[in-house]
Amino acid sequence: MIAINNLVKKFGDFTAVDNLCLDVPEGELFCFLGPNGAGKTTTIKMLTGLLKPTSGSAMLNGMDIQCHPVEVKKLLGYIPDMPYLYDRLTTTEFFKFTGDLYSIPDGKVAEELERSFDLFGLIEHRTALIKDLSHGLRQRLIYASTFLHDPKILFIDEPLIGLDPYTIRLIKRLLIRKARNGTTIFLTTHILPVAEDIADRIGIIADGRIVALGKNEELMSLHGADNLEDVFLKLTGKDPDDCLDSLP
Amino acid sequence: MPGFSAIGRKTRYHFINTGRILREQSLFKCIFIAIFAIVLEGGLCLLFLDGFEFLDSFSGIGSIIVSRLFSVFFFGMSCMLVMSSIVTSYVTIFRSDEVRFLLVRPFAMSDIVVYKFFESAMLSSWAFFFIIVPFISAFALHAKLSPAIALWTLLFSVPFLVVCAGLGTVAVILLVRWFPRVRIFKALSILVALSICLSAWWFLRTVYNPDEEALFDIARLVPGLRMASCELLPSWWFAEGIMALSRGQWFRGTMLWGVLLSSAALVTVCVEWIGSASFYDIWQLVCGSKNRGNRTAVLFRRLERMLTPLAHDVRAMILKDIRIFCRDPMQWSQALVFFGLLGLYFANLRSFKYEALPEEWRSIISFLNVFSVSAVMCSLGSRFIYPQLSLEGQGFWILGLSPTSSKRILLTKFLLSLVTMTSVSGALILLSTEMLKSDPAARIASFALICSVSLAVCGLSCGLGAIFLDLRQKNPAAIVSGFGGTLNLVLSLAFLLAAILPFGIIFHLNFRAAITPTTMRHALLAAGAWLVIITSLTTAIPIAMGVRSLNNRDF
Repeated sequence: MIAINNLVKKFGDFTAVDNLCLDVPEGELFCFLGPNGAGKTTTIKMLTGLLKPTSGSAMLNGMDIQCHPVEVKKLLGYIPDMPYLYDRLTTTEFFKFTGDLYSIPDGKVAEELERSFDLFGLIEHRTALIKDLSHGLRQRLIYASTFLHDPKILFIDEPLIGLDPYTIRLIKRLLIRKARNGTTIFLTTHILPVAEDIADRIGIIADGRIVALGKNEELMSLHGADNLEDVFLKLTGKDPDDCLDSLP
Repeated sequence: MPGFSAIGRKTRYHFINTGRILREQSLFKCIFIAIFAIVLEGGLCLLFLDGFEFLDSFSGIGSIIVSRLFSVFFFGMSCMLVMSSIVTSYVTIFRSDEVRFLLVRPFAMSDIVVYKFFESAMLSSWAFFFIIVPFISAFALHAKLSPAIALWTLLFSVPFLVVCAGLGTVAVILLVRWFPRVRIFKALSILVALSICLSAWWFLRTVYNPDEEALFDIARLVPGLRMASCELLPSWWFAEGIMALSRGQWFRGTMLWGVLLSSAALVTVCVEWIGSASFYDIWQLVCGSKNRGNRTAVLFRRLERMLTPLAHDVRAMILKDIRIFCRDPMQWSQALVFFGLLGLYFANLRSFKYEALPEEWRSIISFLNVFSVSAVMCSLGSRFIYPQLSLEGQGFWILGLSPTSSKRILLTKFLLSLVTMTSVSGALILLSTEMLKSDPAARIASFALICSVSLAVCGLSCGLGAIFLDLRQKNPAAIVSGFGGTLNLVLSLAFLLAAILPFGIIFHLNFRAAITPTTMRHALLAAGAWLVIITSLTTAIPIAMGVRSLNNRDF
C-alpha cells in the first residue's frame, strides 16, 4: 500500500531523509520510531504531499502523490502532532466541513456525526466553538473528522499527546481494529510501550536512515535486548546512563 | 468543485459564529466601537466636504481640480491596495496554518491559491471601504448627486479590489518564486526592480495628452495628477465610470465597468494559472528555506556587548525582543514601510519648494509634519507596542517565573519602545524642520512635542497592553483590533490633539502678528507646562495600572 523508493529530502546542505526504502503492506500498523530530528515527520510530510522529495518516490495505493495529488489525498488521512482547526467553527460545523471536503453526502455525515461524537465523547460539546475546547477535546475532534471519510491509509504523527487514559485506550483499540479491517496505518511516536503494544512492525530511523526494521520480537532478539527501549537506545547511539555517569 | 462549496459553507459558519462571539462581547465595548466608527466617518466626511468647498472657491480651476481629484484619489487607493495586498497575500498564502491543512485534503493547488487570494483581497480591502464611504458621500453632497452613486461605487469597487489585490498576489508569488537566494543576485535584482519602477513612473509622468491643456497646467499644482489620469489605469476606469453613471452617461459608464470587470476576471485567471503552475514549488521553497543569520548574529553580539552595563534580566529581555523583531519579516517590513514613506516625504520637502513659502505657511506645514509623524507614532504604538506583552503568549510563564518583578518586565518593554520610537521620530522631525528651514523656537517646540508624544504613546501602549493582556491570541492583528487596542488608539489620538493644538495655535497667532512677543512667551510657557502635565499623567497612570494588573493576574 505504501512503497517508498530511495526517498531523499535535503534542506540546503542538511540531509533530513537519506535514501529511505520501505514497504508497508495493506492493513499493517507500522510504527516509525526515531530520536528528535531523525526525519520521522519529514518522511510523513513527504508521504502526505506537504513536502516534495529531493529525489526518490513514494507510491500510495500504486499512485505517486506528486503526480496524482488529488486522487491520492482522497485515500489518505493525516493527523499531525499539532493539528490546525478552525477556531471559529463549532465541533459539528467542523465535522460537516470535513465531510464537504471529501464530498460525503449530508445524510451519511449526519449519521457518522452521531456515532463518532458518541464514541469520542463529543456529544455534549457539539455546539461549542473549537476555540473553547481543551487540547484533548481538539485531538478527539481531529480523530473523529479524520475517520469520517474512512481513509485507506492513515498517517499519524504522535497520536497520543495530551489525551486522557480512556481516550488513549480508545485510540489504540480503534487503530488496531482499523488495521484489521484493511486500513494501512503509519504512525510515529516517542512512547515506546505504545509501539510495543500495537505495532505489527516497527522501523527505527536515525539521521535520516532506517537502522532497524521488523517485528518487536525480531528486533529484540536480533539486538539481544529485553525491551524496545534498549533496542532503540542501542541503535540510536546514545544512552542517558553514559551521559549521567560523566556528571559530578 | 466540492472544495469551493465546502469552503463557502465554512465561511458562512464562520460569519455566523463571529456574530455570535460579538453578541457575547460587552455592550459597552460594542457601543463604544460603533460610536467611534460613526464619529470618525462623519468627521472624515466633513473634512472632505470642506476640502471640496475650498477647491470650489478657486472658481474655474477649482472645479477642474475637483473633477480630476477622483482619479488621483483612486490612483492613491490602488497603490495602497496593491501594497497592502502584497503584505496580506504573503501572510495568508505562505504563513497560514490553514494552507497546510488544505494541502493534505483533496484540493487542487490552484483552488487553494484562488481561495487564499480572495481571502487576502477581503482582508486587505476593508479599510478601502472605510475611506471611500466618507469621500464619496462628501462628493455626492457637494455635487448634489443622486444617492445612486453609492450603488455605482459598490458595483465598481468589487472588480477594482479584485484587480488591485490580484496584482499584489501575483507580485508576491513571482517574488517568492524568482527572488534569488545569493546575496549579489539579490542586490542586482533589487536594483533592476527599482529601475523598472522608476522607468514606469517616468513613463506615466510624461504621458501628455495635447488635447488637455488645462490638465497640463493643473498637473503642476496637484502632484501625481498626470500619472493618475493615464487612461490605462484601473483607478481611472473606476473614477471615470462612477462619474459617468452619476451623470447618466450609461453607455460610457457600463463600458468602463465592463473593462474593469473583464480585467478582474483576467487577473483571477492569472492568479489561478500561476497558482496551478508554481504554488507547490514555492511552498516547498518557503518551507525549506533557512535563515543562516551570520551577519545578524555578529550584530547581536555587538549589541549584547553594548548592553553589558544593564542588569542581566533587563538585558536578556531587551535582546530577546530585538531578536524576535528582527527575525520576523512581517514586523520589521511593516515598520520600515511606515517610517520609509515618511522619510521619503520629508527628504523631498525641498522639491515642493515649501521652504520658499512665507513663514506662517512653513509654521503650519511644520506642525502638520509633527502631527503626521505623531499620528504614525500612534499607529505604531497600537500595532507594535500594544500587543508586545500579549504576543509573549504561552511563553509568558518563562518571564512570569523568572526572578524579576512584573514592574521590571513592563518598564523594560516601555524603555525599549521609548528609545526606539524617540530616535526614529526625533530624527524625522529634525529632518523635516531642517528641510523647511524653520526658526529655532519652532524647531525646539517640534522636537519637544515629538518626544512627549513618544513618551505618552509608549506609556499608554505598554500600560493598556498589560491591562488588556490576551495570552491566547497569536495573531497581532486580532490583538490590536480588540477593545484594548481600539481604546489605545483613541486615547493616543486624543493625546495628540491635546498636545499639539496649543502650540500650533500659538505659533499661528504669532506669525499672523495677532499676539505680542510677551504674550507669545507666556503662552509658550503655559503650553509647555500643559504638555509636561499631560505627558506625565498619560505615561505614568497607564504604566502604574498595567503593573497593578500584572501583579493581580493569574498565569
